[in-house]
Amino acid sequence: MNNLVIGQFIPGKAWLYKLDPRTKILVTVAYVFLLVFANQWPAYLLAAAFLGLTLVLTGQSLALYWRGIKPILWLILFTVCLQLLFTGGTPVLWHWSFITITVPGVVNAFYVIVRFVLIVLMSTALTLTTPPTSIASALESLLAPLKAIKVPVAELALMLSIALRFVPLLMGETDKVMKAQKSRGMSLSTGSLWQRSKAVLPLLIPLFIGALQRALDLANAMEVRGFESADNRTRYRVLSFTQADVLATIATIAFTVLFIGTLLIHF
Amino acid sequence: MNAITIDNLNYGYQEGEPLFQDFQLTVPEGQWLSIVGHNGSGKSTLAKLVLGLLEAQSGDITVFGQELTPASLAAVRAQVGMVFQNPDNQFVGATVADDVAFGLENRQVPSAEMPALIEAALQQVGMADFADREPHTLSGGQKQRVALASVLALKPKVIILDEATAMLDPAGKSAVLATLQELKAKYQDQLTLIMITHDMDEAALADRIVVINDGELALDEKPAALFVQGAALKQLGLDQPFETQLQEALPKAPQQYLSKQELAAWLSTLKA
Repeated sequence: MNNLVIGQFIPGKAWLYKLDPRTKILVTVAYVFLLVFANQWPAYLLAAAFLGLTLVLTGQSLALYWRGIKPILWLILFTVCLQLLFTGGTPVLWHWSFITITVPGVVNAFYVIVRFVLIVLMSTALTLTTPPTSIASALESLLAPLKAIKVPVAELALMLSIALRFVPLLMGETDKVMKAQKSRGMSLSTGSLWQRSKAVLPLLIPLFIGALQRALDLANAMEVRGFESADNRTRYRVLSFTQADVLATIATIAFTVLFIGTLLIHF
Repeated sequence: MNAITIDNLNYGYQEGEPLFQDFQLTVPEGQWLSIVGHNGSGKSTLAKLVLGLLEAQSGDITVFGQELTPASLAAVRAQVGMVFQNPDNQFVGATVADDVAFGLENRQVPSAEMPALIEAALQQVGMADFADREPHTLSGGQKQRVALASVLALKPKVIILDEATAMLDPAGKSAVLATLQELKAKYQDQLTLIMITHDMDEAALADRIVVINDGELALDEKPAALFVQGAALKQLGLDQPFETQLQEALPKAPQQYLSKQELAAWLSTLKA
């Protein structure tokens, strides 16, 4: 689990770390949204340049990003196959029984690869440079308007940050229970599929019971320390926009304008 | 003034199976009290009742003159802090500083005032250098000291420790106990400590020890007077502290109770 790069936070001091998490989330969302409309190579080239700049500003090595892409190569390959097989049009490149591969199919497949990689890398850049709790508090701040329609935004953000805080703990516990079961002769890697799924059950039950006990204990600890509702609280970590955020916003706006420009020229 | 007064308390987890029946206990302000008892004797339940985490069937619990009612719950909890047994299950924040901040955030302390308060609280437990660490990089003893800092940041008059060292290794345990002794020395009568434990060596640190057995107050003594009652303790499923056992095994040792330091001093005179 530890070699999964997507979603992992790696502490650092590069420029991107100084940005407000809200800025980073908004830029990422805008980027992904714009990419959906890209349909010509100049647009992709521009998007790739913007991504390249972002990656450089994370201060992490490119090898790390390659490791981030690797686990999803199969997913990309699968999508490419779908594009190749199910895109119609002319001219036809190759035809055999029910399989027809066309030029638009190849072009689409290529675009899909690029789009996929760009989106994944951009999201990786976000999570690499932003601690999960900052993402939670940024989401709380960004979704604050939803409070008007009675969405419990503060509660959800607190739940999210507590859930994230318990991930390493529960992973450690899973490992412990697994070892305990293995030492009693359980095996998750042999036997029929049915036998293996049955072996998961004695793993899940102690985990669930443990998690419930933790939740009860945590609720007591929170209550004793004066927790009443997520809304009536002050904040230790105050999010604030700085000059870096202004710069990032200007860059993103410039990118957006150029991007829309390339789309219009080719239409 | 009394920090906590428990009067005619009745409580049972199930109907028809009362745990506490007309239970009485008074804790004067500034006292260091140990509550000991075997597993299931009701000592942790008592702590939960005092903090309003459980509701008594009848009886009064008064904290600094204020009766515990649903309306006074927040006010009572503002004066009483609690450290629980499991170090992991009371760590709310993503980092040490965030965890100490949690209670302050609940009390609506202005953001600008928080860093100084957090720093001061962490300094008191010797964890100031760990402010940015995540909980899974800390040892159990360190986590419990952070839990103590989280409570201290709220400036409580009473701190209840519910088996707070039970899950720690010896080094972690002695670090937590040393921190408690420092705090008690610093705050003197401003701080009432209630330590729930089944470890008699730990209980020996207190001014007074109360033994609870199946919801009944079995013994209520100063450590010196309690530890010499070996037979009575054994009957309640408890041991004497190690040094008292040693002292009684030595035929020439003085008859009166000796603390660990006193016994060591006496032993060192033998050689001369």
